[in-house]
Amino acid sequence: MKDRVAVIGIGCTKFGDRFERSYEELICDAAFEAYDDAGIDPAQIEAAYLGTYLPGSGGGKAAVSLADALRLYDRPITRVENYCATGTDAFRNGCLAIAAGTYDMVLVLGAEKLKDRGGRGIPRLGHPLLARGNTAPGLFALAANRYIHTFGLRRETLAKVAVKNHRNGALNPKAHLRMEVTEEQVLNAPIIAWPFGLFDCCPTTDGAAAAIICRADMAKRFPKAPVLVKGAGLAVTSGRPYFDPTFDYLGFRSTQAAAQQAYAMAGIAPSDIDFAEVHDCFTWTEISNIEDLGFCRKGEGGQLEEEGQTALDGRLPINPSGGLKSFGHPIGASGVRMVTECVVQLRGEAGKRQVKDPELGLAHNVGGPGAVSCVVVLGRG
Amino acid sequence: MPPGTRTVAGLDEDALTMATDAVLACLGDADPADPGQFDALYFASTSSPYNEKQVASVIATAADLPREAAVADLGGSVRAGLGALRAALDGVRAGSHRTALVVAADARRVEPESELEPLVGDGALAVAVGRNDVVAELVATASISEEFTYVFRTDEQRYLQVAEPRFGATYGYARDMGEAVALALRRAELPPARVAKLALAAPDARSAGDAARRAGCEPGQLEPSLVTEAGLLGTAEPLVLLARSLETARPGDFLVTGAYGEGADVLVFRATDRLPAARPRPVAERLARGLPLPSYARYLRAQAVLPGESIGEPVTSMVEWKELKQNVRLYGSRCEACGLVQYPQARVCLGCRSQDRMVDHKLAKRGTVFTFTIDNLAPVPEHPLPMAVVDLDGGGRLYLQVTDAADGDVKVGAPVELTFRRLHEVGGNRYYFWKARPVEVR
Repeated sequence: MKDRVAVIGIGCTKFGDRFERSYEELICDAAFEAYDDAGIDPAQIEAAYLGTYLPGSGGGKAAVSLADALRLYDRPITRVENYCATGTDAFRNGCLAIAAGTYDMVLVLGAEKLKDRGGRGIPRLGHPLLARGNTAPGLFALAANRYIHTFGLRRETLAKVAVKNHRNGALNPKAHLRMEVTEEQVLNAPIIAWPFGLFDCCPTTDGAAAAIICRADMAKRFPKAPVLVKGAGLAVTSGRPYFDPTFDYLGFRSTQAAAQQAYAMAGIAPSDIDFAEVHDCFTWTEISNIEDLGFCRKGEGGQLEEEGQTALDGRLPINPSGGLKSFGHPIGASGVRMVTECVVQLRGEAGKRQVKDPELGLAHNVGGPGAVSCVVVLGRG
Repeated sequence: MPPGTRTVAGLDEDALTMATDAVLACLGDADPADPGQFDALYFASTSSPYNEKQVASVIATAADLPREAAVADLGGSVRAGLGALRAALDGVRAGSHRTALVVAADARRVEPESELEPLVGDGALAVAVGRNDVVAELVATASISEEFTYVFRTDEQRYLQVAEPRFGATYGYARDMGEAVALALRRAELPPARVAKLALAAPDARSAGDAARRAGCEPGQLEPSLVTEAGLLGTAEPLVLLARSLETARPGDFLVTGAYGEGADVLVFRATDRLPAARPRPVAERLARGLPLPSYARYLRAQAVLPGESIGEPVTSMVEWKELKQNVRLYGSRCEACGLVQYPQARVCLGCRSQDRMVDHKLAKRGTVFTFTIDNLAPVPEHPLPMAVVDLDGGGRLYLQVTDAADGDVKVGAPVELTFRRLHEVGGNRYYFWKARPVEVR
């Protein structure tokens, strides 16, 4: 698939509490922006992939949500759902369809309307008795606490991830939480699930993001500098990691496997990546992810954060967009939103948060926690 | 009323869960007993969580008794605890049961800030009854039964009612109990002075002494009331008092236990030579495991006076039935090819991917915390909620809510044991599952 698919247009809504916008309106906002960016007519779209995690109130029941919102009828539309990797996996599926030669132009759109559901956090799924009492922060906290026990990571280091990503997000007009936070604020926030306080957690967010992709050999016909898909990987492991007596809880092998697939496809090493949008649903997750993605050895992620290597002006900027932490996490939209950030950065359109002259960017989601991971590598065309 | 302590069932506890806990403790004390040897289980309670549903069957399943076990739920008055014990003893003597379990449990609701509130406690006790190797043998029984209006609760009342307490204590309790003790001692051909301990449940702190005197005994022969240590424990009370007597009794000692409820039941036992080697775990040790309730509001919530949030989906009867062995009897799978013990039950091995090489594996109810969190977000009535990934002794890993934990109890490496608790309530029914609790005695 390497260099056979190009991203020619992107769109992304303002992320946040979008009570004034319905699920279908968010889809329109993202899609229209992408149409404009690519300079295409919607009639040119041959197929679409919709990434939405949660069905039910607020929309997202199936592919028809996209069809009806955009009046995009009589062509193949597929809804993709793959936990928190929903968005990146929708993108990956779109790329596969182009690379297979089936379609010339595809719309990939991720959308999620979490805020209209009410309640706190995201609803629990799964067996009514087994693993009952789990929450998203609680599940990642299981891994964080074992990691802390093993490597002696400090909460102060976790806080630095939040401080950095809020600083990046404050520069981003589309981010959900556009304010900087101090390490003290992060450390003193109410505990959600130990060791995570409020500012260790990403918010629940409404938003949508879109990418128009086409055959790479067509890309030059469109106004924006094309960005090429270099590699993609997806790995699914156990959705019940807490029942696996062989699991060490120090990282996620789905990320390790998905990253290896993507690097192999792209023919690169982790050290070739210039910046990465990684799945920082919780501060610890970013630290573990950069290890699982091969940017450093297991147990050393905290040190990278401490030394500022992951800052916007660091050796390897991580989450220049502000990440899930600050940009927000409308689950199915997040992966596509990460792709749009990679495109913005590779085009050199990121303004105050621009990473210096990047060639290769990476987008990564992990959900489950650890059950499923999707990695996409994008490069300047 | 002197200051004291009363035991209160936690928010996730009721007579069913406390009874299950007591049965598991009874099976686990000394040498872990094979639940397969028990062919009967009697459950006594006046505060069963179900007005209609065979709770003894639930307890028998959680304790992994064979499906062939005979069971019965007894209630009606706090006399049911000894009624159950007598029925089991009769069943064994008649040859109907080989070995039987008797468990009495109560978590009775009393009106907040009423005179009864400081008197009533929550508790459970289980007894194994059999023919061989007994620690106490039954010598005689006596019963008195006659209508008397004293302690009651109609089918529409939530709280325990007491009519004319002083009159009831004297003309109901002491008169009937005294007569029943005297009758039992006559049948046992036992002079009152030969009784080592009178383990008489009572409706208050004083009346047992009155009953003892009426039977020709001295108040000094009484096993002291639990009222200031635990409260009056309903159906479990005579059994807890008897267990306390067994903590110090010598072989050959005569122990008399009695319970009241519109009449009285009295059982006379003689301690055997086996007792010193197989004494029950001290009641004081159990009491010491309790955690202080941080506030009266927490107490009211535990009594379900204050509502708590519990969101969740019901478990359909079909899923419950399909997964009964896994979820209630708590069996995992063990791979015959590589030996890995895994949960939930599966067909393909997590370790070696072998297909259909699994055998049922009964999981241990003890283990160690591999990792944990303390959650404030989960939709449960009380926060924080500790959750733990537990590596069980002998294999298998579970992910469980942690209950009965004090600050700092839940940490990597902490030893825990499993306890059967109320998990959630939805759609008008209650759902039970296993939780972990720290084992260290505080």
